[in-house]
Amino acid sequence: MDKSQHTDQHTSQRFDAELEALRSSVLTMGGLVERQCRQALEALSKGDGELAGIVARSDREVNSLELQISAQCTDILALRQPAARDLRTVIAIIRLVANLERIGDEAAKIGRKALKLADDAGRNSYCSEPQHMGEGVCSMLRGALDAFARLDVDAAIEVIARDKEIDREFKSLNRLLMTHMMEQPQRVKNLLRINSCARALERVGDHAVNLCEEVIYLVEGNDVRHLSLDEVRRRHGS
Amino acid sequence: MLVTEADYLLAAGEKKMKSSESKGAAATREVGNKRSLDIREHVEQDDYRTIGSPFVDDAKMTARNVNVFYDEKQAITNVSLDIGRNEVIAMIGPSGCGKSTFLRTLNRMNDIIPSCRVQGEFALDGEDIYGEEQDTVLLRARVGMVFQKPNPFPKSIYENVAYGPRIHGLAHNKSEMDEIVEDSLRRASLFEEVKEQLDKPGTGLSGGQQQRLCIARAIAVSPEVILMDEPCSALDPIATARIEELIDELKENYTIAIVTHSMQQAARVSQRTAYFHMGKLIEVGDTKQIFTMPAHQLTENYITGRFG
Repeated sequence: MDKSQHTDQHTSQRFDAELEALRSSVLTMGGLVERQCRQALEALSKGDGELAGIVARSDREVNSLELQISAQCTDILALRQPAARDLRTVIAIIRLVANLERIGDEAAKIGRKALKLADDAGRNSYCSEPQHMGEGVCSMLRGALDAFARLDVDAAIEVIARDKEIDREFKSLNRLLMTHMMEQPQRVKNLLRINSCARALERVGDHAVNLCEEVIYLVEGNDVRHLSLDEVRRRHGS
Repeated sequence: MLVTEADYLLAAGEKKMKSSESKGAAATREVGNKRSLDIREHVEQDDYRTIGSPFVDDAKMTARNVNVFYDEKQAITNVSLDIGRNEVIAMIGPSGCGKSTFLRTLNRMNDIIPSCRVQGEFALDGEDIYGEEQDTVLLRARVGMVFQKPNPFPKSIYENVAYGPRIHGLAHNKSEMDEIVEDSLRRASLFEEVKEQLDKPGTGLSGGQQQRLCIARAIAVSPEVILMDEPCSALDPIATARIEELIDELKENYTIAIVTHSMQQAARVSQRTAYFHMGKLIEVGDTKQIFTMPAHQLTENYITGRFG
């Protein structure tokens, strides 16, 4: 069956339009959140205080989209009584949106830390340490949103698989920062800030995985939350 | 993926069949062949199979390889289905899909339609209901029916319920009959509303009350199975809710098969759901599974409102 054609061809065309509007709101919100993450990362590594300030305050738009999408979902549930794929779409979107909102929170958190780091005269080059990991996370997020837009389960699984690498990078970054702290105790405060940025990025990666799990649920009806990657692949294959 | 490529092809094949069917019918007429079942149809019967679980371990009724024809037109094609004991099975599908026709085969209501021809094996507790010695009056007492429009007899409420037990000789005296009538009305949760007016005409009740009266009438002869053909389509939401509540209570003691156009109703009252499409039984499964994760594309299209 053609996954991409899932919002059209209802007998009620207004229902098609409502579902399409819902999906496009989610993609708008996803786009905003993704931009927030990229900006947070840039503000952190470049020490751009102005950008950091923008990111730290940018969750208002995301929050209002979250409310709007929740209301759209409630309306569809109440007025359309969706079933099967349509029902899964609405349920998945309710959970997707909660994850997106949390990603937005993590980005704002990085923004706040970056703002403090930028203000601090004792800022150091370690700020760009999470750069590589952050890029990986942002591309996971992009991949997750693409998988949602195209309802592509294979792409979603591929994104889930990348999370292991992020976790590994986070652990080694953790060790690296700890070593620096021991060597330069006067810099502990800033190093801790950088560490919490890395932690936030790692969480964004986890949320991206959650987004992918919702895509799989939406398309296949399999609830793959809390399963190992191998198990997810096995269920998809069967 | 649950939907295999073969299923998808079947779904596509349905469309093709639609156009070829009319051609086939024309060809049959041309050669003046009175047999409506030609070889081509046999082939098409074999190339579909019902998805899901049409059979259950504890079946009250079984139907196997059912074909039904109205004159030359085939209304049901090779349907096999079990009706489980003390469960509610809902039959859904677009108009003309054969769900009501199938329901009526279960108590031989189709016998009274001259043009209708039924093939297949039907059993109630293992006993052939189309057997030579089968008494259809007795069968219809064991397998009762409630219709779309409430159709009480133009008699008193009491007489409406007492009629069945009387012709079947279930009561030996007036007090036994009173007991049956009261008990049946109670089970149909109507007694409290009508106990002061049992001698008033049944047709004077509201639509919802009339339908419950019809259910009481069906229950009065102690059926084992109750067939319901869109029992709520003429009722308001409150009366509908009462009937649905009643169906839920009745399943303790009876086996119920319900045909409904309301998918929400099927979802609310049934444990199993069977989806019919153009005379074929496409999919049968647990109601929850059918409404959250149907395996067949046709089922999905229907329950999500994607039929043009």
